[in-house]
Amino acid sequence: MNRRDFLTGCTALSAASVLHSHANLWAQQMADVTLTIAPLDLEIAPGKTVHTIAYNGSVPGPLIRWPEGEPITIDVLNQTDAPEIVHWHGLWIPSNVDGASEEGSPMIPPHGRLRYSFTPRPSGFRWYHTHTYAGHNLKRATYTGQFGCFYIDPKENAGSYDQEIFLALHDWNPYMSGGGDASMDVSYDFGSINGKMLGAGEPLRVKEGQRVLIHILNASATLTHWLACSGHEMQVLAMDGNPVPIRKNVQAVRLAPAERIDVVIEMKQPGVWVLGETRDDLRKAGMGVVVEYANQQGEPRWIAPPETLWDYTQFARSQKAAESDVRIPLVFRSKFTGHGDFDHWMINGKSFPKTDTIALQPGKRHRLVMQNESTDDHPIHLHRHTFEVTNLDGVPVSGLIKDVLVVKAKSTAEVDFTASNPGMTLFHCHQQSHMDFGFMMLFRYA
Amino acid sequence: MLPKTLLLRRKESSAFGVIFLLLCLLVLVRPLAAQDNYEIQVYGSDTVAPKTTMLELHSNFTVDGSKPLPGSVYTADGTYPTNHAEHETIEITQGLTNWSEVGFYIFTSSRSGQGIQWVGDHIRPRVRVPDSWHWPVGVSLSTEIGYQRRDFSTDTWTWEIRPIIDKQIGRWYFAVNPALERSFHGESVSQGVGFSPNAKISYDFTKVITGGLEYYASYGRLGDFDDLHNQQQQFFPAIDLNVSPNWEINFGVGVGPTAGTDHLIVKAIIGRRFDWSGHHERGSSLSTQ
Repeated sequence: MNRRDFLTGCTALSAASVLHSHANLWAQQMADVTLTIAPLDLEIAPGKTVHTIAYNGSVPGPLIRWPEGEPITIDVLNQTDAPEIVHWHGLWIPSNVDGASEEGSPMIPPHGRLRYSFTPRPSGFRWYHTHTYAGHNLKRATYTGQFGCFYIDPKENAGSYDQEIFLALHDWNPYMSGGGDASMDVSYDFGSINGKMLGAGEPLRVKEGQRVLIHILNASATLTHWLACSGHEMQVLAMDGNPVPIRKNVQAVRLAPAERIDVVIEMKQPGVWVLGETRDDLRKAGMGVVVEYANQQGEPRWIAPPETLWDYTQFARSQKAAESDVRIPLVFRSKFTGHGDFDHWMINGKSFPKTDTIALQPGKRHRLVMQNESTDDHPIHLHRHTFEVTNLDGVPVSGLIKDVLVVKAKSTAEVDFTASNPGMTLFHCHQQSHMDFGFMMLFRYA
Repeated sequence: MLPKTLLLRRKESSAFGVIFLLLCLLVLVRPLAAQDNYEIQVYGSDTVAPKTTMLELHSNFTVDGSKPLPGSVYTADGTYPTNHAEHETIEITQGLTNWSEVGFYIFTSSRSGQGIQWVGDHIRPRVRVPDSWHWPVGVSLSTEIGYQRRDFSTDTWTWEIRPIIDKQIGRWYFAVNPALERSFHGESVSQGVGFSPNAKISYDFTKVITGGLEYYASYGRLGDFDDLHNQQQQFFPAIDLNVSPNWEINFGVGVGPTAGTDHLIVKAIIGRRFDWSGHHERGSSLSTQ
């Protein structure tokens, strides 16, 4: 049984019951937000069109901005021929509306519809995306344009700023590549920010002296991206929507799939610049956007940042975090299936859905003690909870709150979370090709 | 890569008398067939990445090869024998773009009584079908031109064009190189184009160990192949060790069952990739720009 078989079996029943119970609601009241999932020919640059699936005919989908603590209803219409589901990433919401069928959330049948009702929390930069299985079909799941930003307005904003911008990164036309010494991986023809290749979309229009708050989401299915803004420093305010304990100015930021970052850029170098991937090949493939100062013209200029290593610890406190009540060791390994195929993945020696379902003690502080014995990095994600990063490769830290963390190849990492949101809880690598081939497990509440 | 035995094949089919030809074959075929034992490798379609250099050492020892004429240090065609010769070839390949590279070869030979000798040099540009074309198989095309001393080859200036097609399916790998060769200076100039296909099939036993069979042949002049007995046919059971993306290690033992082939060769390839691009692999935590 693979993930697809598992999903088909466990969600069919719940889908039927939930859909039935929601059917009357559609007739009774309008939803706050409606998302329509449908095929889309997206022109990412003049003459370059990708055939994808998207929300409301745009990539990214509509920005959902909602006040903290207010209930929301979202209707989702699936106008495709395949079952779909929408995951509300980073929110503390119940399992049945989280949008992961492994947890028991219902699938939306082809040409069917579903209403999600929940109270979004915590505040900050969240997002929503499809949570389906792709396997070797790279035209499905997060390889498509099914993603959008979800911002839950806090009582107080994270920082003072003059302009606010949301940027969503994505890669297009995936194909299997590699082989030789390594296993297959996913490569892409094009990259885009907010659905447009570098130079093809509207520039970010700024003024000298402005402080611009930029919320950046890496919605790529598998690629980590590095971004820099041609000589402009970026002050990191928040990661995955959660304020960082120590704000730092950096030349470049790294975002693994599903990671978000909030940065402020002081616009003090008038000109026309490129905010883009630091790696030439990816930037030339489209991963970038033009930043244009008022009254400035000319070709956008790119200035490569100095060599930068990404280190989460610079944004965290160096003090040790609080002790945990329960330690859960997790060992990540790969299973080779040939240089011409994707690796399969195991957590504690087992691939999903055969992985152990570990019981959480309600109210207790749990520590995931992760040991990545593979040669790949893994952006691990815990559903319906946020966690505190407490140790990175033997270095104790505290105060850094996230819901996605890159566990580097051949390294260790520890994160703590309190079991305060009962229900089945999914844990997985956010690389689509990893989660599809076994890198998932469930926690349940005792 | 030095030319295969096409040069000889053209000779064989030229207008000599049949009896004379048969006599010649006995003494000429094997020495000439051995001249390609400098770089024994079936090419894959991939090219070296831009800003990256691949440095390879090809070490080939001919256990049972051509022998000198009695009282002479040369074989019948005036070249040095290959029997118990150690051929060391340095191959330097520089990636130019995502779809092109250029390789440079330095061929050497050492044998008891002859010391270490420079044999010649070749240059080999190569282009491939870019990934963005999404072809179902990998395809590239190399062309190789170079010089080798008369002491080691009856033809001193030669040219080769080599289509390369390969495919990896799960644990299986398939590659075929239907190469064409020609002489520009030497005894085989008038012999036209020879056909020298290579092929490889291998299986990934583990992530590190891949075992397979490599096939090297030279059929003779296009449209007028030699008979099987006089064709060059070599079979190399070989192992590739995939210890790191930066290293290439290949080892094999070749058997030549026909008269036109050196009968037993041991080969090894050790390659090291040097990345000058300033950034690491995609997805790595260390990657930057």
